[in-house]
Amino acid sequence: MLSLSAELSEATVNLQMINGDDDATEGDVAHAKVLMHFAESFARRDDAALHEARAALLAEAGPEILVDAAGVAANFQRMVRIADSTGIPLDERNVALSADVRKELDLERFPSAMNTPKANLKVKLLSLIARPMAKIIIKKMEAQRNKLEQ
Amino acid sequence: MESSTTFFDYNDSPYSIRAGLVNAHKDYWQTLAKAGSWFNGAQRVAIAEEVRNALQCPFCAQRKTALSPYALQGEHLKGNVLSDDVVDAVHRVVTDQSRITKSYIEGNVQKGFSEEQYVELVGIAVNVLSIDEFHRALGLQSEPLPQPVAGEPDHYRPAHTEHDTGYVAMISPDGAVGPESDLWPEQTANVLRALSLVPDAVRSWMKISNEHYLSMEAMGNFTGPNGRSINRMQIELVAGRVSSINECFY
Repeated sequence: MLSLSAELSEATVNLQMINGDDDATEGDVAHAKVLMHFAESFARRDDAALHEARAALLAEAGPEILVDAAGVAANFQRMVRIADSTGIPLDERNVALSADVRKELDLERFPSAMNTPKANLKVKLLSLIARPMAKIIIKKMEAQRNKLEQ
Repeated sequence: MESSTTFFDYNDSPYSIRAGLVNAHKDYWQTLAKAGSWFNGAQRVAIAEEVRNALQCPFCAQRKTALSPYALQGEHLKGNVLSDDVVDAVHRVVTDQSRITKSYIEGNVQKGFSEEQYVELVGIAVNVLSIDEFHRALGLQSEPLPQPVAGEPDHYRPAHTEHDTGYVAMISPDGAVGPESDLWPEQTANVLRALSLVPDAVRSWMKISNEHYLSMEAMGNFTGPNGRSINRMQIELVAGRVSSINECFY
């Protein structure tokens, strides 16, 4: 989703921030480093680091951003548990859509990857066109929405 | 436990909490206290209490590091409302969810702990956890749990379920019709279907997710305003980093 939102925004983003690479450049994501540290210390349940990261995010980005980031972080404590507790696989269309990103971030290393079957030929072929097609469809939908809002 | 509508007033919060978040949390606490489809209010609130116990449970900490989470025997830190199997399931969902298996759920079914109860339990556990985690992220105290409301579960089971994927029965992709027509539009995703054996469990987590993350409508909007102070890339950076540490493939 980060990669797709960056592509659609024609912005630069370093996906290695997802893996916590401190040397990754922030690209066009404002406050990226402080957001990354906040998310990381929160998910690791490191109280001292979270205290520091929260203060840094607050100082650099302000209370509204802190609150919204807390909501997103809390939400993704839920999503992994829904997925793993019910053993759901990744949807076929998302397998195709995110193949390159999953490879870049080496997501196959996670135990829950076993719930998703390896991509078959159909999915591999689909992955070649899924992303460009998704971008066209989303752009069209956004243009329609903007038109309606004007 | 408290019985009032004063929950989540955030008077002690150093940060202003937007109304959508406050209302979603208040609304869920009211839902939590009432009988659901397969548990009564007292059991549902007890499940919420076990979410909190799990995070302090020495046995869970020991089991998390064990090679096999099913071989180790021990006692959970727990209350006295729920059966040991239900307590164990809550603790696993909170502390060791990636090692839950289909055979574990099937084994519980053979002991009378139904798939429907398991799904409702997962729904309660993840909602309470995410509200508590929002507080922890901001350095706020967890909210006291609500007083249970008397009443019996309605034992509602949706009509069009199937065991086509995952560990539990789910409404089929084209089965969200009639009373379930609000669950998803024409197209769905496995994460929406996951808890659909108990439709109210899906409705509850969606209401909270609409505020913690984004509404379904806003999810399709990658570049425009989203009603948040952070743009989509910032949202997905936080989501991605948390999910990566949680080893979430999904």
